[in-house]
Amino acid sequence: MAVDLDTCTGCGACVTACHAENNIPIVGPAEAARGRAMHWLRVERYFEGEFPDVRVKFRPVMCQHCDAAPCEPVCPTYASHHTEEGLNAQVYNRCIGTRYCANACPYNVRFFDFFNPQWPKPLHLQLNPDVSVREVGVMEKCTFCVQRINAGEIAAKAEKRELKDGDIQTACAQACAARAIVFGDLNDPESEVSRLSRSPRAGRLLEDLGTLPKVAYLERQTQV
Amino acid sequence: MSAVYALYPTPDAAQRAVNNLHAAGVPDGQITIVSAEPFEEHAFADRDKATSMGWIALAGAIVGLLVATWLTRMTELAWPLSTGNMPIVAWWPNLIVMFELTMLGGILAAVITLLVAGQLVRRRPAFYDPAVSDGQILVGVEAAAEEAAVERALAGGEIRRL
Amino acid sequence: MSDAGRKINEDLLRPLLQTSWRFYLLVALLGSVVVAGLVAWLWQMWNGFGVAGLNNPVYWAFYITNFVFWIGISHAGTLISAILRLVNAGWRRPVTRCAEVITAFALMIGAMFPIIHLGRPWLAFWLIPYPSNRQIWPNFRSPLVWDFFAISTYLTGSVLFLVLPMIPDFALVRDRTTGTRSRIYGLLALGWRGTPKQWHRLESAMQIMAIAIIPVAVSVHTIVSFDFSMAPVPMWHSTIFGPYFVAGAIFSGIAGLIIAMAALRKFLHLEDYLHPVHFQNLGKLLLMMSLLWAYFVFAERLTVWYGNGSAEVQVLRATQKGSFAPLYWTMVVCNFVVPFTILSLRRLRTITGCVIASFGVCIGMWLERFLIVVPSLSHKYLPYAWGTYRPRPVEIIITVATFAAMTLLYVLFSKFVPIISIWELKVGEHTTHVVEPLEMHEHALGDAHP
Repeated sequence: MAVDLDTCTGCGACVTACHAENNIPIVGPAEAARGRAMHWLRVERYFEGEFPDVRVKFRPVMCQHCDAAPCEPVCPTYASHHTEEGLNAQVYNRCIGTRYCANACPYNVRFFDFFNPQWPKPLHLQLNPDVSVREVGVMEKCTFCVQRINAGEIAAKAEKRELKDGDIQTACAQACAARAIVFGDLNDPESEVSRLSRSPRAGRLLEDLGTLPKVAYLERQTQV
Repeated sequence: MSAVYALYPTPDAAQRAVNNLHAAGVPDGQITIVSAEPFEEHAFADRDKATSMGWIALAGAIVGLLVATWLTRMTELAWPLSTGNMPIVAWWPNLIVMFELTMLGGILAAVITLLVAGQLVRRRPAFYDPAVSDGQILVGVEAAAEEAAVERALAGGEIRRL
Repeated sequence: MSDAGRKINEDLLRPLLQTSWRFYLLVALLGSVVVAGLVAWLWQMWNGFGVAGLNNPVYWAFYITNFVFWIGISHAGTLISAILRLVNAGWRRPVTRCAEVITAFALMIGAMFPIIHLGRPWLAFWLIPYPSNRQIWPNFRSPLVWDFFAISTYLTGSVLFLVLPMIPDFALVRDRTTGTRSRIYGLLALGWRGTPKQWHRLESAMQIMAIAIIPVAVSVHTIVSFDFSMAPVPMWHSTIFGPYFVAGAIFSGIAGLIIAMAALRKFLHLEDYLHPVHFQNLGKLLLMMSLLWAYFVFAERLTVWYGNGSAEVQVLRATQKGSFAPLYWTMVVCNFVVPFTILSLRRLRTITGCVIASFGVCIGMWLERFLIVVPSLSHKYLPYAWGTYRPRPVEIIITVATFAAMTLLYVLFSKFVPIISIWELKVGEHTTHVVEPLEMHEHALGDAHP
């Protein structure tokens, strides 16, 4: 995935789309005040400088699907592991809720279900049938919309063709009005995401920790 | 089981009784001594000291090591799941589990040897007298061939029969 | 039997054979606190883990603090009694069983916490390597799986280390009681008689276990420290954690032992067996561990301060000057200032002084565990994701209940088993007699002699 911080306006449409696509519960104001809001994708906002030279920086942060993910070896039940496609998978059924993975993640992108999520009627009608609803006691996080990846692969196989770049879009990429988020196949050097990852503006978040994150952030060229 | 034995209040008296039994021709293997404390300094307590428990514990430790090596390696290969860019068979973490099971093997082997060699799990009633708990030392002979000779040797303590 | 032996039997069997109303009251009080803890845990499982105070990013707090604390306390017993046994220190004889009991019970309590802190505790058995129909095994790369093996090994080893020398004492109690009680103790005594062969095998087994249990004890708390040092969290990912935690464990363990011994001495009237010299020796050990603890803390913090890594320095500042500063400085006073003052002055190193220092150390070491876990999690690498933590009633109740549980288990144990090893004490007595068999000299029971 590549995120262009120059184009990102910090509008938060990606966050909303992620909630809708992945059945992420709204925890309510009381729980959010306790620090338990579950935004698989969040837009971090930093203010830099003194007035009148204040700069605002937005950075959408989601699971970086690190190639050397620190959350994976620490899980006692293999609930967090690396798939052959390069995703960091979270298997809810294996999770016993030790929360070690969340501590090990330097990006704080793993979330724990402190309570059973509630969707009072008729909000239950909005649930995405392709995504499971997690129960209390398990960890969850951004999956790069693995349900859409699987659906795209199955469709391509059924139609007996190769996947094209742009066939699979994560919810956040689809919702972004500024086209700041781009998702694709990093193994394909011609894909847009590979091209953007090779850009001179591209950098990774917390790169010196050695986690080998996959999300390329393209730094801002203009300071507004 | 029939036995002749006597109770002695001090270890010195018990030692004299054992010496008398030896003089009467009773071999060590037939003499039973029971006490509430070890009395390491006296000769009568010196019997059966040699043990191979140390070697058995070492063998148990080696068994533990082999089990742990097999367990970690087998399970990691049975369903190879990549985690954190670490190898599928990860020796550094495996060494930790191998160490623990090695020590456990040694400890369990020592305890099992104690239970077996000390005959601590027994069915038939043992040659014992509750007076031992009062500090008396029991010296006796089971199924003695010449009971009169044994009784003479045991003179000096309270003679009893089972 | 000698007068000394008779007195030993009387004094040390009295708690088993006589019970006062105070015992029942104490058990009822402690039991009710323990029940409150169990109810709190069930309430947490029923209502969801959110009733605790944890949040994003502080996903570990009180329960893990308690886990590390109790596993730490458990290091006293076996280490003290194993090391003292191996160096043949005579003054260990009245102390060994008190110490080993602490280990066994502290381990059992500590081992509850990895289950209490799970999101789905009913699935805790997935850490056991068994062939399941899901065809998946535990992940041996995870420090939590190492914890499972280490704590299981240590628990097995220390329970055996405790129980084996109890067998001759069970035989003694069997002979002193009648009816059902005698039969139960008879079962516990297995086939023990007291033949030279049995004594020799028991001694050999104790020697082997004393040698084996020391590396296991060291490994257990090192592995517990690996729960932290294997994660890339500021001020967790430190190479010093292994030795630091082991030293801290021995430190808190000795403090726990001193408190337990002082309580036993007072309430079971064991003044003839637990002398001021025992407390002074343990007090000197406690002083040494206090200095060692201070050394490790200084080495770690100096490295962080000097290295100026941005994330680490934030955590350091939070503990020393920021929101965690009151707890941090309390910890320093309790762990170093108070013990150092009391224990280095001979006039203050009395039983009372040692107990005060030990209470301070217990509080200080609990705070130390908390200050290792929570400040680092509150201040990780992305400032937008920093957080805070406040404990909620369910966590506090469970914490208090574990202290009550430890006390309750100890009280019950001393009611059913002689808290000082009777046969080992007698061996110590008659060794002196044999060395000078013809002299009649007065000596106090349990005095220092090989």
